Amino acid sequence: MKDPREALEAARRAAAGTEDEAGRAGAEPGRARVEPGAAGAQPGAVARDDWALADPSAATRRLVEWAIIEPDQARVYSTRAYGRPITWLKRGLIRLLRQYLDQVTAQQSRFNANVAAQLLRLEERVSELERRSGPGGPAAP
Amino acid sequence: MRVTQFVCAAGPVDAVTNQGLAWRSVFSRWGWDGEDYAAHIAPGVRARALRPLRGWRGAEREVVVLHYSGHVSGLVEVMRSAPRSLLVSHNVTPARYFWEFEPLDAARCALAREQLAALGRDATALAGVSAFNARELGELSGREVDVIPVLFDPARLGPAGEGEPPGPPTVLFVGRLAPHKRQDLIIRAFARLRGAVPDARLVLVGTPLNPAFEQALRELAETLAPGAVSFETAGISTERLAAHYRSAHVFLSLSEHEGFGIPLLEAFHFGVPVVARDAAAVGEVVGEAGVLLAAEDRVATVAEVLRIVLADPELRAELRERGRRRLRDYDHARTEAVMRSRLEALAA
Repeated sequence: MKDPREALEAARRAAAGTEDEAGRAGAEPGRARVEPGAAGAQPGAVARDDWALADPSAATRRLVEWAIIEPDQARVYSTRAYGRPITWLKRGLIRLLRQYLDQVTAQQSRFNANVAAQLLRLEERVSELERRSGPGGPAAP
Repeated sequence: MRVTQFVCAAGPVDAVTNQGLAWRSVFSRWGWDGEDYAAHIAPGVRARALRPLRGWRGAEREVVVLHYSGHVSGLVEVMRSAPRSLLVSHNVTPARYFWEFEPLDAARCALAREQLAALGRDATALAGVSAFNARELGELSGREVDVIPVLFDPARLGPAGEGEPPGPPTVLFVGRLAPHKRQDLIIRAFARLRGAVPDARLVLVGTPLNPAFEQALRELAETLAPGAVSFETAGISTERLAAHYRSAHVFLSLSEHEGFGIPLLEAFHFGVPVVARDAAAVGEVVGEAGVLLAAEDRVATVAEVLRIVLADPELRAELRERGRRRLRDYDHARTEAVMRSRLEALAA
């Protein structure tokens, strides 16, 4: 066989009708999930777009934007008269402490992003419940 | 001519950083001067290869090339002060792949898409490293976008091996261990292949998204194909990477999102037959040079394709030959000429 398309067709014919247990998400009970969008694959869950919501609120967007902490060194300065040496001193201290400050900002950013993700998850669930319940109707079991 | 380059986050094994540095060598060869800057510089980047972006002061008649791959605070404002700029979009992975596993990366990707749209509206000229990226940037910016492929230098990895590699049938994938690369599906397909080819082995090369994700993949591999899957996740040297390609019988990519896919070209260079899912930019990079799986193809089909390729030397030889021919489309000189014409037009 020399044609890749021919090989693919042969593979499709051979695979037709075979069980595909290994391809099913969550085939191994109790295992950590590695499939992307695993929550989206659950029955009834909403497929996620980049923001996990079709129309996310401005507040949620801001939350995600603010989750990543990146202090601007240019905004560290002294307002005193002849404050230039103090500005240099402050910026020098930041440079000296950079390893420590990077740790702090990374830890805080990670925490913030996880909170934002959790909020997006909750918003998604609320949206789904609202969608299921319909206008004035009870939530489906 | 003076060309300044910006990279979003520089790292010692980051593909975009390496592209920036490779272009700098080309610019120097053309007699063009300029400097390279990065918003974030990770430890391990060659000393003085890049400067911090906050130190950039624009120069008259300077052309700024931004290699965009991720969100950087304040980048839109910085780029607005560059009178002539070329935005090259390398790839922003959709955030949905990361919320579950690494929310910080997800937040960065979500913000990056918005920032890419803003940058696309402001930059003087736009390009993507693949037609897929160009299309995506065109949709975000509402403007025309060129394609300037990545600079691929096969010599960097050394020569390909001679003939078929010795050793057991080996399936290889090279790429970050991340949800959109779908190593989980590769493991599942490989586990199925082992029913027909019991001595087959799988090698996954790439830095992990995080330790938890790596651990989950390792557990999956240990459950479905105990002892047959090896991971190479740290300290991957060029020599070691080349050795993996030289010992592979087939390269399998089931990625759902690739802005380009340099490992596909590397596989072609080493004469490794390619089996890949036709997703994002993968189809246009592979062309007719590999077995292209459709999105709806099941794991059983992937395993069957692998079995056929491993069992058929004629097919492997044909795929190797097609791969080598395909590489000519990504010839260094051709890509250089495209970039040069774009930059000269910008500077004029």
